[in-house]
Amino acid sequence: MNLLIPLMVIVPILCALFLNLLHKKDRTIKTIAIILALILPALPILANYGLHYFGGYAPLIENPTLSSNLPSLITGTALNTFHPAITYSFQGAQKIFIFILGLVGLLVVFTSLYETRRPSGVYGYMMFMGIAALTAILLTDDIFNLYVFFEIAALATVGIVLVSNVKGNYETALKYMILGSIAAPLLLLGIALLLGVTGNVNITDIIYSLKNGLVNPQNPVLLMACGLIVFGWLYGSGLPPFHTIKSAIYSKALPSGAALIQAFSVFTFIALGIIILRIFSYLPFSQWVILGVSLLAMILGITMAIVQTDIKRMIGYLAVGELGYIGIGLGLGTAFGITAGLFQAVNEAIITAFLFIGFGTVLYQTRISDTRKLGGMMARNPLVALLVLLAGFAMAGVPPLNAFQSKLMLIQASINAGFPELGVIMILLSIVTFMTFMKAFHAVFLRPKPADLELKNENIPKATIVALVVFLVVCLVFGLFPQVITSYLQPLATSLTGGIV
Amino acid sequence: MVIDVQIASLFTAVALIIIGIFAAAFLDNLIKKVIGLAFIGDGVNLFLIAMGYKPGGIVYIYLPGMAAEWFSQNAAYPLPFAMVLTSIVIGASTMAVMLGIIIVLYKKRESLSAKEILGE
Amino acid sequence: MIEYLFMLTAVLGAIFALMQRDLLKAAILTGISGASIAILYQYLLAPDVALTQAIVGAAIIPVFFALAVYKTRRMEE
Repeated sequence: MNLLIPLMVIVPILCALFLNLLHKKDRTIKTIAIILALILPALPILANYGLHYFGGYAPLIENPTLSSNLPSLITGTALNTFHPAITYSFQGAQKIFIFILGLVGLLVVFTSLYETRRPSGVYGYMMFMGIAALTAILLTDDIFNLYVFFEIAALATVGIVLVSNVKGNYETALKYMILGSIAAPLLLLGIALLLGVTGNVNITDIIYSLKNGLVNPQNPVLLMACGLIVFGWLYGSGLPPFHTIKSAIYSKALPSGAALIQAFSVFTFIALGIIILRIFSYLPFSQWVILGVSLLAMILGITMAIVQTDIKRMIGYLAVGELGYIGIGLGLGTAFGITAGLFQAVNEAIITAFLFIGFGTVLYQTRISDTRKLGGMMARNPLVALLVLLAGFAMAGVPPLNAFQSKLMLIQASINAGFPELGVIMILLSIVTFMTFMKAFHAVFLRPKPADLELKNENIPKATIVALVVFLVVCLVFGLFPQVITSYLQPLATSLTGGIV
Repeated sequence: MVIDVQIASLFTAVALIIIGIFAAAFLDNLIKKVIGLAFIGDGVNLFLIAMGYKPGGIVYIYLPGMAAEWFSQNAAYPLPFAMVLTSIVIGASTMAVMLGIIIVLYKKRESLSAKEILGE
Repeated sequence: MIEYLFMLTAVLGAIFALMQRDLLKAAILTGISGASIAILYQYLLAPDVALTQAIVGAAIIPVFFALAVYKTRRMEE
């Protein structure tokens, strides 16, 4: 039994609960928060691969002393292999995902501690809660447990938006919650239908039942379950038709909060996408649904980003568009394509956080996010401008940064899978991404400073610059040594390709 | 001919979900919208409970003196029931947060109209 | 037989709640719908869930709505 696996979820929850108890001792809180946040990316590195059964209830097949006393009614059937408890599964891919989530969380907590000047409070609480929820979503093998943490992640997102004090944040948060309160019960209904057909909520057991003919995989109820789970997936990750509300959510949060929320979206996308592929990949059209939705997200997200004048909104739409790339990788269905998609997810979580925090420095200095009113920020902070430029290069896929490698892999995968058109679309949209970014970059940093623009805060905190440099280093390392990351993702991708019938 | 309780409950659940979605989508008052959302949650919970029901079965509590085999064949399936307990609590807390936001918005905007506040 | 009656009240309670112009009445009718669902759970062999639903659905959620109505306005414009 590997105790570090549940700790990955417990540590952030404890951070959230106990940091606020030390209210008023700001220096202590800062130190403790940073130390605790350092643990987040460290835990997945230290933990060994394995399964964790909550309460220690392993499947009967692994527990001979117990099963020897039971009647053959139980031990002789599939019940013998089923998982009676909530199971967390920690493998290579989870290691990378949770490490990246922890890293983004660490840097976001680090920047926000120095930018908001309020070390304890609801903001930190919500961030740690969200990280805990997302870690659990990535780890869990139990689809109902996933639903519970899905709801917690949505609430944490709303919380991050509510504390931001940006104009219109309450309205956006309420809209997001209303949509969420329709989408999440429908996701639960999908889970209920799966439960009704297979009698199980453990994903491994559901797949076992489908594969070994315990239930008929062509049952039309399963089709409906698939549809409802896909609907929850669209909401959770902000794919169309939810791209507008998701990008509004990004733009109403503080930049550090937006950086974290987009990581939540990416990992929700990945976690639910993997589950849909694992359970439903035998349905012939599931691949087409994923491809179609991703293509739509890519095109809508990136084209809508062009016309935005609000920086955060623009990055928000670009983030939605980049989700489409991941989805293309998953939808291709080949091992290489899925590896490329997962690698793109890892890269995107980093790059978008990088961009949000990078442009966040401008917001920190001026409190304005409208590109028409900004300008001349380059003269103030050439270093930050350079870092943001590199972040934009990374997002567009310029070598030697990381997204270049994953986008190259995606294009190769789409050609190998017989869809060269997708490759062409991806290249074109990369160019559009780059153009959109350069337009915003020019407006904010290069063009002469408007006369009426005044700075509220002169100096950018050192912590923010450190965080940006760390992001850049990670981008470079992933770009120069992509095989290090893909070797972790490969086993998961290979296991997803099989299909089951 | 009377349809059996399980099927009837499933239909009730679906009716509640449809009423809820209708209210959330088409009613203008924000509190009415949230009431509709509560019905969606109730409907899904009822659906789950109806799924675990066994016609002519017994409550899933193992009393001393029951034969294990008889119990396993007649008891209702308790897994959905455990899930519904969690789901009820989640639903109630989400509802509370939404109503809180609505109260704050009312203080700012003096209105409960979704058209006016959410701009749809 | 009586369970069909409660199914009916659950659905009708929901519909009437949404038809009220007086939001306080709507909140109370939510409670009726919640209570009928709780009794329905009892018939569907889930006594512990029925207990929770009776408290949450028939008492806590209507109180939430009533408080929200009290803090905002009673009549729908």
